[in-house]
Amino acid sequence: MAKFSLQPTPFLGGFQKDYGTVIIKEITDRAITSLALPLGFEAKAEKAIKTVLKLNLPEVGMSTQSKDGTTALLRLGKDQLFCLKNGENDGYTAHKALADKFGDNIYTTDQSDVWVSLTLSGPDSLRALERVCPIDLHPDRFGVGALARTAMEHLGTIIHRNSVAEYTLMSASSSAGSFLHAIKTSIDNVL
Amino acid sequence: MSQSHRISGGLIDRTKPMHFSFNGKGMEGYAGDTLASALLANGQKLVGRSFKYHRPRGIFSAGPEEPNALVQLRTGAAQEPNTRATVAELFDGLIATSQNHRGSLEFDLLSIADLAAPFLGAGFYYKTFMWPKAFWEKLYEPMIRAAAGLGNLSMKEDPDTYDKGFLHCDFLIIGAGPSGLIAALTSARSGAQVILADEDFRFGGRLNSESFVIDGSASSDWAAQVVAELTTLPNVRLMTRTTIYGAYDHGVFGALERMTDHLKSSAGKPRQILWRIYSKRSLLCAGATERPIAFSNNDRPGIMLAGAVRSYVNRFSVVPGKNVTVFTNNDDGWRTASDLIAQGVNVRALIDVREGVNPPDLTGVEVIIGGLILDTAGRKALSSITLKNGRKISTDCLAVTGGWNPTVHLTCHQRGKPVWNEDILAFVPGGTLPAGMRVAGAANGVLGLSSIIKSTAETTIEILQDLSFKSKAAVLPVTEDEAQSCTAFWHVKESKKRAWVDLQNDVTVKDIKLSYQEGFRSVEHLKRYSTLGMATDQGKTSNIAGLAILAECSAKTIPETGTTIFRPPYTPVPIGALAGRARGKDFKPYRLTPSHLWAEANGATFVETGNWMRAQWFARAEEKGWRDSVDREVTMTRASVGICDVTTLGKIDIQGKDAAEFLNYIYTNAFLKLSVGKVRYGLMLREDGIAYDDGTTARLGENHFVMTTTTANAVLVFRKLEFARQCLWPNLDVHLISTTDGWAQFAVAGPNARNLLSKVVDAPLDLSNESFPFMACAELSVCGGTPARLFRISFSGELAYEIAVPARYGNSMMDVLMKAGAEFDAVPYGTEALGVMRIEKGHAAGNELNGQTTALNLGLGGFVSSKKDFIGKTLSQRAELNLPDAIRLVGFKAVNPSDALLAGSHFITKGEQTTMENDQGWMSSVAYSPTLGHSIGLGFIKRGHERLGEMVQMVNPAYGIEVEVEIVSPHFYDPDGVLQRG
Repeated sequence: MAKFSLQPTPFLGGFQKDYGTVIIKEITDRAITSLALPLGFEAKAEKAIKTVLKLNLPEVGMSTQSKDGTTALLRLGKDQLFCLKNGENDGYTAHKALADKFGDNIYTTDQSDVWVSLTLSGPDSLRALERVCPIDLHPDRFGVGALARTAMEHLGTIIHRNSVAEYTLMSASSSAGSFLHAIKTSIDNVL
Repeated sequence: MSQSHRISGGLIDRTKPMHFSFNGKGMEGYAGDTLASALLANGQKLVGRSFKYHRPRGIFSAGPEEPNALVQLRTGAAQEPNTRATVAELFDGLIATSQNHRGSLEFDLLSIADLAAPFLGAGFYYKTFMWPKAFWEKLYEPMIRAAAGLGNLSMKEDPDTYDKGFLHCDFLIIGAGPSGLIAALTSARSGAQVILADEDFRFGGRLNSESFVIDGSASSDWAAQVVAELTTLPNVRLMTRTTIYGAYDHGVFGALERMTDHLKSSAGKPRQILWRIYSKRSLLCAGATERPIAFSNNDRPGIMLAGAVRSYVNRFSVVPGKNVTVFTNNDDGWRTASDLIAQGVNVRALIDVREGVNPPDLTGVEVIIGGLILDTAGRKALSSITLKNGRKISTDCLAVTGGWNPTVHLTCHQRGKPVWNEDILAFVPGGTLPAGMRVAGAANGVLGLSSIIKSTAETTIEILQDLSFKSKAAVLPVTEDEAQSCTAFWHVKESKKRAWVDLQNDVTVKDIKLSYQEGFRSVEHLKRYSTLGMATDQGKTSNIAGLAILAECSAKTIPETGTTIFRPPYTPVPIGALAGRARGKDFKPYRLTPSHLWAEANGATFVETGNWMRAQWFARAEEKGWRDSVDREVTMTRASVGICDVTTLGKIDIQGKDAAEFLNYIYTNAFLKLSVGKVRYGLMLREDGIAYDDGTTARLGENHFVMTTTTANAVLVFRKLEFARQCLWPNLDVHLISTTDGWAQFAVAGPNARNLLSKVVDAPLDLSNESFPFMACAELSVCGGTPARLFRISFSGELAYEIAVPARYGNSMMDVLMKAGAEFDAVPYGTEALGVMRIEKGHAAGNELNGQTTALNLGLGGFVSSKKDFIGKTLSQRAELNLPDAIRLVGFKAVNPSDALLAGSHFITKGEQTTMENDQGWMSSVAYSPTLGHSIGLGFIKRGHERLGEMVQMVNPAYGIEVEVEIVSPHFYDPDGVLQRG
């Protein structure tokens, strides 16, 4: 038996704050696996996704999720998706399990610790995001399920609209402190 | 003095009195006032001193074009100079002071400059203060700067905060006057996403300042009704107090929204927001700016633009004078007289420069047709004017109008060049406008109200159709076009005294003529020589008159003379707003290593590398300086084991059936046959054959590689790989994704590295040299099941490994490694010790891969394959990069071991002079080697590899250093690599 054991440290210490009309929360129990579709075998890959995840391949810039909400697929590019597994505390193991199921049909990479993820919810979320997000978030152009890569305060960010008034923001985990500061400042400035 | 000039009516709220002070004197105004209107209401005519001559100046306009009434608002750190009183919204408790005077405003000691005016003409400082030469910098310039100018900064940290933001719309309407409102109403009803922005705190523009009637109501009422409807529409964003200051590429506009400038305190919220507005289409409805006529002494307080007088009377219910005279070259002047009469103001005379015109019935007003004003009198406020026939007229306010200039500024921001319109005697938008922009209303040269509304509605419908919105022609309100005849009359040529063209910069008609006489024929040159049109107002009231006078001088027409091009910003934007929230610690993002908390708790000093905060060294209490710490870290690592967080190195996950082939193209050396479970060093060249990055790449599977890059080039390498993947070899099945942040990676180096790791690595991995040799790699688990990756690579030259765990375990991993290493006296080491050990080992790093060196220069020629193609191959074979005397990376040590070496120094052959011609190369990296006990260095010198043992001079003229050094092998430590393979 190993003498030592490792303890995880959430990038923002599990930060959460309720501002009344905006709630911000760090997601600490989500596995993120990047899925890459092999060139020339995209149809096979799509079939594998449907078989393994029971989800259809969304369009680029869109997402889809399982009925129970535990699994979501974010289509970041023509040949790249993120598979989000909620309720997973061990990202690498979750990724391995997925990789084993996909076999050669899809290339997988664990991304769980690459990103710090925040949910921003509440009726004033959009007003806060106006101060930091260059993307047009009007519901007609960025509806529920839409996602985009952008930059917030110089930090690369993936923004994903989960529901009418909830967004997930993903940015590099190493700059999590700066990212949180940017989001908190945006909220403070509008409330 | 209590609002002695206030009259009834207007759009102010008398139920909300506002107390304020000007130069310490308490005054009162109302909500809805500007500082300018409140000052006028209180009879305060003198508000400032002019830029150069310190002439008394009053309020000249009622808008952003104000050249005179620049004041300082607030006090202490919040003090803000150069604020135009005409756009400063009055609030209770406002403290305003005048600026640019020595002594009081009334008795400015520097007004003596006015007496010296004959010596202070255009470009005087280029001509008058030439001798003695040495006096310019030390005496003349400081003296001139102290005497001239605008207000002063507080020199304290700005206590306010600022923000920025992003807005998107189908249709941006710039300006909320008659054209802006009708455009907003028309477009809003179509369902388009509309932003209507205006710099004023009340929408309506001139509708609030004029006595127009629309649909039988006062035009200001109609404006209020339209705004009320717009407020109810969810697809319309109304932005008052917002200046669209710049038009940029692709329909992007810069806007400054003043959030709290009208409040006594910002209460912790941003004072201003700098918006970036993305629009599909835009409509410039910025209206027009009135221009004055120049004549002798036309700068006295009380001489104002006629339209401004109407604004003060109609909107602010303030009479700027008790006996007003109107001086005009157009029909607008008549309307000024009519409005004043309607408000019960005594109009002393109407002087129209035109012959043969018939003004409407102005009962009780003396009308002088074909009249000219030759001079004015009144020291601190206008008291009389003198006509060309010598007659004096007593008057305390002169309303001057020389016609209207469409506000074309934003149309010029993409180099659109305005064109002259002879009908209105003004420049109108021309050339290529910013993408998606149309212009409507007075900004487009349409000056009659009815015509403005009709043409704007038509333009708006065209825009909406272009955007595929269904829109119907709105039922347009009923109104009339006002009389608009104007004649070209720019200045009174008979003027004998100084006639001001640019009030803000004290540029007179004579200055412009002098500039022309001295050879400044281009309008752009004229501007820079005379300062015409510079500073906060950017010549909004002076440009056309200046051009007209220049045209007269050159016997050309105004369009032949041309115009200056307007650039952003339209009105001043505070630096604080441009900086936004980027200040202090959060000036820019910072990145933390996974073990940052551990490092902080264990005495680390941090250094910024890229955006990363890395531990530079870990000081102990007994150590007297950083060198003690670094020497100890190196010594203890080489003696036993040291641990360093190397997470910052770029990590790129590369997968695909063609990944090996792809890497073979990327690196100069072969990667096709790298075995699974092995790591290889690789060198990358730019397309021009110059080395730009290096690192190791591990093969974790047949189709799976993990590349490491240098910290500094992590993003650059990823970008170049993506380019190669997508553009150079799109047929290859290769997929890239960064995992830099995903893995916490630690170098464990030193003779006891294996022993230490054996305590944390889970079975069945065998760390013995036979099972896990140098350049091996594996996926494994540590500490009872935590996934990990292990690479046997060495930057220090020691027996070394790099162990990686998911980043969330990084802090804990550092702690565990230190605890596991306690029995070996393990030390954490920082970037300084890392640097010392790599120099001792002779590894090239950023100092050597500086964008100028080749593989040959770096001594890495053996890594350049001749059997395969790779990026940069062809150009690396250029003869110039392969000359026999090319510089080579070698080591250097001082002949006298106590001499310190200095990076950046150059090498000169002994006995030769220190000249550029004799330069042999340079020292790129140096360190004190605690292992060797003296300074060592790496550097480049011509044919270095053939000159080992030769003595040369290391010279550094900047520091006066000259040291004799010996050229040695770059591998100071374990040159045969026995330790790292052991």
